[in-house]
Amino acid sequence: MSTQQATALHTTEESRRVELARLIRRLRLSNGVALGSLWIVASLVILLFIAIMILLLAQGISYLFRPDFYGTGNAGIGPELFNTFYVLILTQIFLFPIALAAAIYLIEYAPQGKLVTATHFAAETLAGVPSIVLGLFGVIAFGIYAHMGTSRLSGALTLLCLNLPLALRLFEDALASVPRDLREGSLALGSTRWHMVRTVVLPSALPGIITGLILSAGKIIGEAAALIFTMGANNPSSGVFTLNPLIGSDNLTVHLWYILTQGLGSTGLSASQTNQVAAGSAALLIVILLLINVTARAIGRAIQRRVTAA
Amino acid sequence: MATAQRSARIANQTSTTIFLICAIFIVGVIISVFLFLGSNAFRVFTEGATLKDFFSSANWDPTGNNNVNGNPSFGAAGLILGSVITTLLAVIIVIPLAFGMAIFFTEVAPSWLTKILQPLLEIFVGMPSVVIGFLGLTVLVPFLSRLVAPLTGGLPTGGYGWGAATLVLVVMILPTVISVSIDALRAVPGSVREASLALGSTRWQMMSRAVIPAATTGLATAVVLGMARAIGETLAVSMVLQGAKLPQHIFTPLVFFQPNVNITSAIVQDFAETLGSARDAYWTMAFILLVITFIFICISRYLASRSAYK
Repeated sequence: MSTQQATALHTTEESRRVELARLIRRLRLSNGVALGSLWIVASLVILLFIAIMILLLAQGISYLFRPDFYGTGNAGIGPELFNTFYVLILTQIFLFPIALAAAIYLIEYAPQGKLVTATHFAAETLAGVPSIVLGLFGVIAFGIYAHMGTSRLSGALTLLCLNLPLALRLFEDALASVPRDLREGSLALGSTRWHMVRTVVLPSALPGIITGLILSAGKIIGEAAALIFTMGANNPSSGVFTLNPLIGSDNLTVHLWYILTQGLGSTGLSASQTNQVAAGSAALLIVILLLINVTARAIGRAIQRRVTAA
Repeated sequence: MATAQRSARIANQTSTTIFLICAIFIVGVIISVFLFLGSNAFRVFTEGATLKDFFSSANWDPTGNNNVNGNPSFGAAGLILGSVITTLLAVIIVIPLAFGMAIFFTEVAPSWLTKILQPLLEIFVGMPSVVIGFLGLTVLVPFLSRLVAPLTGGLPTGGYGWGAATLVLVVMILPTVISVSIDALRAVPGSVREASLALGSTRWQMMSRAVIPAATTGLATAVVLGMARAIGETLAVSMVLQGAKLPQHIFTPLVFFQPNVNITSAIVQDFAETLGSARDAYWTMAFILLVITFIFICISRYLASRSAYK
């Protein structure tokens, strides 16, 4: 090999090495820039979420410790709190059995077929329907055609339609997490399907079912748009502390909307009372949702412990 | 023995029938939503409204209160424009934030951080609309009003309008889009990531050339679902819009900072006070919203059916 050839080889190798080093530097740089911007975007989003939480709690948390906040006076939310839980229970009385039964049918009984596809498509479509649109549907279907007018029952039935898709999905997840062999073992011993569901599937899916119940409760407590025209935004003068489902009443979220949008004159509340009710209700809603999330999570962990220990 | 068997079989059949009815009930609900709203949606066109006016005129006055002769006019173009513009702007802002956050969450974030972020995200997915509306009224509107004071000449209503509505929508749909995007990215199997890294990719190359392309349809689904939520979002948006009609000059930047309208705010503000043909106009608006969200859901289902990883 001549010296000339050797130098030529050397320079191409050298230039290739330089080129590779440049490439690596470029890749490292773009990698660093990309990861850096991901961190920045993520911190912005997280900061936004945390700021919203802090703003909500800071404005209202002090009211939560005042006794008159839970009273029935102008600055109290006693009636609304009662109505919120009344409607929650009334809705769950319809929602829980129907959604659970439908989930059992889809998971345990239905073969992969047209009905499963149709039900899932229906649930997905229903989940996408805006709550105000379902509210107007409730006005026609329950208020006008079923002659319920503006009442708690009409509101609860509207909430049933609104929350069916979510509850169905949560219960389906709970049932699907039960291992197959448990079912097969039960059927092999000669159980009927119903016996198998009742004695094997439902007990093992219980924690998941309770999680689903709690999470759908959170959605019901926070809903307002579907209730404004079906359940109304006012309380009857005869008082709300009755179990009569045929009276109209408001709940925490609807009341919050009402006092913020109807102007000071028409609600009969002073500015400081409005602020107490609004900021206090918002903070209370956040606290309830936090509690719901923590409880559902704790139960979820309990399932995991049971599954892994079994 | 024989009677026990027979009663077990009867219980089995009864329960199967009940579960089947509950599954069909969900399909029945969505069909009746379409039927009840659809059968009321077209009546307004026999009562003085024309299809052309409905979609081209911006004079929305179904009660005729603003007309000297009391003639109603049904021009919904302004309302539809409001919904479309705020939805599109919100989605444009949400896409980079949500995708960045989702990629950060699945590919970059250390596990202790995801453990904190997961519950935070879940709480925001279920955040009641009125609570965000309350925050919009007490924090965002005064802030925007001060920010744009040089533009508006210090008008007290400067904070209301499409600008505030867009920002409120961003907060409302961001958590949903993030969590659906996270599901889409998690559905990409780890082997795709490993293969890409084994070929010598940097982490950013792995994300941008392997993971994101594999999750494209899932990410698109997230955006479509976010749009469906945004166009139906009611209370939070109507609280910061507070307008009665479309402003005179819509081709200036100022249009974003004056009280304005969209479909849902018109329904929630005026529906309760209407009767007869004026009320029929609101059924039509609700039906339009229903059809729009139905189209969005169909698109998201089509996208989901095309994705490689589920």
